[in-house]
Amino acid sequence: MRYTILAGTAAGILAAGALALPASALSDSTADLYVLHAVPDTPVDVWVNGELTLDDFKPGDMAGPLDLPAGTYSVAITAPDAADASAPVIGPIDLPLSAGTSYTAVAHLGEDGKPTASLFTNDLRTTAPGQGRLTVRHTAAAPAVDILAGGAPVISGLANPDEAVLDLPAGVVSASVAVAGTTDPVIGPADVDVAEGVNTIVYAWGSAEAGNLDLAVQTISGLHSAPGGVNSGQAGLAADPEPPVAAWIALATLAAAAAGLVTAARLRRQPTR
Amino acid sequence: MRVAVVGLVLLLSGCGAIPPVVPSAPIRSAAPTLAAPAPEPRPTTDVDVQIRSARLEPVTQPVPPVRVQVPAADIDMDIQPVGVRDDGLMELPDYVGTAGWYRFGSDPAEGAGTTVVAAHVDSLKYGLGPFAHLKDLPAGAEIVLTTADGTEHRYSVESVTKVLKEDLPVAEVFTREGPERLVLITCGGQFDYDALRYSDNVLVTAVPAQ
Repeated sequence: MRYTILAGTAAGILAAGALALPASALSDSTADLYVLHAVPDTPVDVWVNGELTLDDFKPGDMAGPLDLPAGTYSVAITAPDAADASAPVIGPIDLPLSAGTSYTAVAHLGEDGKPTASLFTNDLRTTAPGQGRLTVRHTAAAPAVDILAGGAPVISGLANPDEAVLDLPAGVVSASVAVAGTTDPVIGPADVDVAEGVNTIVYAWGSAEAGNLDLAVQTISGLHSAPGGVNSGQAGLAADPEPPVAAWIALATLAAAAAGLVTAARLRRQPTR
Repeated sequence: MRVAVVGLVLLLSGCGAIPPVVPSAPIRSAAPTLAAPAPEPRPTTDVDVQIRSARLEPVTQPVPPVRVQVPAADIDMDIQPVGVRDDGLMELPDYVGTAGWYRFGSDPAEGAGTTVVAAHVDSLKYGLGPFAHLKDLPAGAEIVLTTADGTEHRYSVESVTKVLKEDLPVAEVFTREGPERLVLITCGGQFDYDALRYSDNVLVTAVPAQ
């Protein structure tokens, strides 16, 4: 039920909604694919189904999203300026991509320090109002780690190539990464903005042995939901006037008439008892 | 956030015959003569993919609105940033003379979506608040939001609407997308003296002044 105080202007609020964009342009037939280069030091070329797709892709860079029809894609990663995908340094690996799903493929080091690749699915479910989503992915040549927020562990024992996902009240988190069971940071502390309605995906990458551990960050927005409403009064001082006296009289007359009819009906029914 | 990748889409969907890579010795290496053959041109990418650094960026926060003025309704109030209550409703300052800006929505400098500012119309402790005058605002009335950096953002009232609280189109009111607008919200309509609750929300929708 909606009514307007100013004549002819009710369309304002509704029109705004009609122009709102969907949270993601993911469709029923396509997938989103992001690609992160998390192998230190070496630019690479990325080949998809034998075609050069990312040329001279630099460590620490994120590409995408590629809007791809659902299906399985063969991805090979070669040294830069390779003539073709026949001598990959990673892969070829098959990436099965489902429609309506967001993925990040990461070229990274395994715990043993050897280059590898992992495919992660990005959680794009709607977040509760006031919440942000923090995803942490271990893609570093390092043992299992704990993730600390403000010095206290919030994720424990995360191993390469696993991820942990948690929804938090939106805000800035002072995040650090420590070897599992310890609190001495090997990365950070660093301020990470876990914004409302955003999946903030943090990658630990690099190599503990080489001393180049670092964080990479990907954000996917548009997951927010609105608060349930606005309760903005409690005293009744601004209430609309009660219906005027004339209306009460009319209502009373109607009620009396109705009562009369009921009485008449009862009277009529009595002889049939 | 999205980029057009028409090249790759055509490549992958239009050219369905592209076979998967079969790891085998490249045929080109079997050159029959000692004379160096002219090298084939290296393939180039047909794809325009957005590439950016994934390094951790310094945290940036929006510049919050700190003051709302509506001269036609004698409103001049401070604004505090607010979030969400435990029950999922929008948080509001207790004091009827202070408005709340929904900090998880748009802000006046964002240039898109709706900046939402709400205040209690009254309270048992503080009595009637300035937002009680919103329902009488005429179209075209001026609203000025001042942000913390001192910038004044001017809006012009487009509509004043009452809607049953349970019918408030929250996804539309709190949208971060679409055209830039300001919505002021308070309560109105009938009052339930048992539940201490108004039936309606009063919404003032305003657009940036020309």
